[in-house]
Amino acid sequence: MRQSSKNRNRVLSWLGLLPFLLFCLAFEIVPILLLLRDSLFTRAGELTAANYQGAVAPLYLRSFWNSIKLSGITALLGTTIGLVVGYGVFRWPSKRVQDSLIALSDVTTNFAGAPLAFAFIIVLGSNGLITQFFLKYLDIKLYPEFSVYSLSGLILAYLYFQLPLMVLLIIPAFGGIKKEWRESATNLGANTYQFWWNIGLPILAPSLIAGFVLLFANAFGAYATAYTLTGSKLSLVTLQIGFTITGEVLHEPGIGQAMAVLSLLIMGTCIAIYQVATSRARKWTRG
Amino acid sequence: MGSLKKSKPSSGQIFIVGIFIFYMILPIIATYIFSIATRWDRTILPEGYSLEGYMEATTNPYFFITLKNSLVLSVASVLVSLFVVVPTVYWVHVKLHSAKPLLDLLMILPFGIPGVVLALALVQVYNFQPISRSPLLLTAATVVFTMPFMYRSVSNNLAAVDIPTLTEAAQSLGANTFNVLWRVIIPNIFPGILSGSLLVFATVFAEFTLARLIVGAGFKTFPMLLVEYTRKDGTIAAGMSVISFTIAWIVSLLILWASGKGIKVSRESIGAR
Amino acid sequence: MMTYLELTDISKNFGNVVAVKDFNLSIKKGQLVSFLGPSGCGKTTTLRMIGGFEIPDSGTILLADEDISKIPPNRRGIGMVFQSYALFPNMTILENVMFGLKMQHKPKKEMTSIAEKVLDLVRLQNTAKRYPHQLSGGQQQRIALARALAIQPRVLLLDEPLSALDAEVRVALRGEIRRIQSDLGITTVYVTHDQEEALSISDMVVVMNNGLVEQIGTPQEIYRKPDTRFVATFIGTANEFHGIVTDSENVKAGNLVIKTSGLHNFSIGSEVVALVRPENVEVFDQKPTDSMVNVVEGDVDTITFHGAITRLGINAGGKMITADVTITGRNILSYHQHVWLSFNPEYCKVMAEK
Repeated sequence: MRQSSKNRNRVLSWLGLLPFLLFCLAFEIVPILLLLRDSLFTRAGELTAANYQGAVAPLYLRSFWNSIKLSGITALLGTTIGLVVGYGVFRWPSKRVQDSLIALSDVTTNFAGAPLAFAFIIVLGSNGLITQFFLKYLDIKLYPEFSVYSLSGLILAYLYFQLPLMVLLIIPAFGGIKKEWRESATNLGANTYQFWWNIGLPILAPSLIAGFVLLFANAFGAYATAYTLTGSKLSLVTLQIGFTITGEVLHEPGIGQAMAVLSLLIMGTCIAIYQVATSRARKWTRG
Repeated sequence: MGSLKKSKPSSGQIFIVGIFIFYMILPIIATYIFSIATRWDRTILPEGYSLEGYMEATTNPYFFITLKNSLVLSVASVLVSLFVVVPTVYWVHVKLHSAKPLLDLLMILPFGIPGVVLALALVQVYNFQPISRSPLLLTAATVVFTMPFMYRSVSNNLAAVDIPTLTEAAQSLGANTFNVLWRVIIPNIFPGILSGSLLVFATVFAEFTLARLIVGAGFKTFPMLLVEYTRKDGTIAAGMSVISFTIAWIVSLLILWASGKGIKVSRESIGAR
Repeated sequence: MMTYLELTDISKNFGNVVAVKDFNLSIKKGQLVSFLGPSGCGKTTTLRMIGGFEIPDSGTILLADEDISKIPPNRRGIGMVFQSYALFPNMTILENVMFGLKMQHKPKKEMTSIAEKVLDLVRLQNTAKRYPHQLSGGQQQRIALARALAIQPRVLLLDEPLSALDAEVRVALRGEIRRIQSDLGITTVYVTHDQEEALSISDMVVVMNNGLVEQIGTPQEIYRKPDTRFVATFIGTANEFHGIVTDSENVKAGNLVIKTSGLHNFSIGSEVVALVRPENVEVFDQKPTDSMVNVVEGDVDTITFHGAITRLGINAGGKMITADVTITGRNILSYHQHVWLSFNPEYCKVMAEK
């Protein structure tokens, strides 16, 4: 076959990708790039850092801090508790029960949003089910120190979909710890703690990092749950950006854009760490 | 992992997993009960039960409008996804393997873009008629958002079936391109397509952020009405939550059924590579 | 018999890797020809070019005097059996076998009758309603064969059809493939890296290495009269004696003077290697008479039992020589036993040291 017709085939093949590429460019890539561009220019068309300076003004800095706090805490709690729950599920003797638990996690991790927020109001609101239970049977008054509409309430609500996500991630990671490693470690004299400390946890470490980072990103980008639960009481980055769009609060549009770009940076870093961590995890448990 | 074959879970396991199940299920059950409760703000269990909430909900014209809107949006997203994503995945898998890293990257991107950011970007770029703040723009956004799900589902299915060899076998038996696609390829990736479609449908149906920020009141979706009711009438909000949950359960079951129905490939023929 | 399938000057590159170069072959109708060689030698690429799944960079392929290089694979009338069976998972066995007939738009009755006949041929009539994943590997491969035969192809191509199967199944199945091929008289090209397979079922063997043809011949010719060093060492095993030609008959290899049946092609002083197969090395437990030639002394180092024969590794002053013997009740050998070896000059093949 002549070189030219081979090249022509190559070009034709890439042409088949065109519809999809156009779609991505039009509705994903180009808008984001324009967002980036607009955040760096004033309305008059001058290059400026003013938007970013505004974005870290105390008012908005607090929302960044809140978002990071919320994401960090739920990621940490989700990772540690999810690790333990995941191990419990992984070691469950009955495969049917195990599959059901995995299916349950699969469904509940997608339950974020308004219905979830409202469910937590029912359960932990000022007249909620658990609130009353604590009052009547344990004589503990949750309110007014605790409120489901505050950061702590939001943490509990976020935890609801963070936990099963971690469980789903960590179970295959446990599966990657080969039986033979445990057996040969035992054969060489290690007890359970020594195995986990020297072999098990280090092997799991990339998956734990991947899980933490994924949970962080998951929480950082969430909107609906927080919107339903707190409205405008608690300031979070995603809520602030949302206000920019609906015009509910008067902002410099550039600031919303700057906040959006900063969010993308944070999310992008998380995804990058996630990719590195999972490929490391895959490498160790493949052979 | 652990060579001891246990027949019963340990008490620690039961405790941890039990708490987990309790934490997961309680909010859902509470919602179901709240939707049929008359009054439930003074006692552990409701003071009375009634279906009035549901009846009131269905008399509200907005109820069926938003339900219809959400259904239309979900179906439209599935269709667009099928036309844009599926042929691309197949094409790259078979004819353009060198593009796979690019495709993988493009399919990771939506995970890194929060809904609000995508909404902001799209609303500011497409601020001209007729697409500005329209359901069309919203559909494009939801498709971008759910692309990775359709991709993963179809991609996994493609990987499990040796498409190139089956294609060559069919060709050696005289099949032209149409027959290869219609009789061999599509039947074998159908489970993946079905699972992906169901996943896209369920995700778009429950989507609030994009709908509210891109179109807003011009095209009210079911989740948007739900949020309104959380501030107006708790019982109806609970009822709508019940409907959302139930649809999600049904779709999950359908997905499990669809992937279980997947055309079985014998272990031997996979090992033969 | 006329030439039925002819490949002339076939070459194929992938990027700057030479996959096949200057491949020439004439196959007569009804013959079973094997392409034999290590992985990467070009045998599968050449097969796929016959089938139409790769296009040669140069050269022609003639089938019954017709140039088929421009014909797409789905219209060449060539049946193909793949290493991974490639049965369609979404169809029953019967539907799989009938697929090619369906593409030919044959009437349903005819399709079913042909399908049932080929299923009979491979002795799997009662699997018709089952699905591929329910059958074993060997059964799936037989169905794949039946499916390819159903379209009554002009040429049958098999790409390492038995590599994925257990040893026992392999031996049984290769005999069955040969039987069916021979009964039906279908011209067949068979690709394998297993020399025992190629030698046992082929009419002709094409030995390939690094994209080039090393030798074409009958199994006996390939085994007994290898043309090149590669063929001599790839097919069976051979003892190698490296040395220099001293006169028209002898090679001096270390301390040993090897008498051969004639060294007319080599000039005195040229570096050569003399090859002797293990089955041609005789073993004596006593020093043989002076009239024997090519006598070497050594100690038994390894004894490996292979059933009908026993393979000995003899250490002759640092050089390991392999000899195959049949052990009967009377001539049992033991480790470190001192033995004498001898081989007939006729069985000594001399080749130039590259």
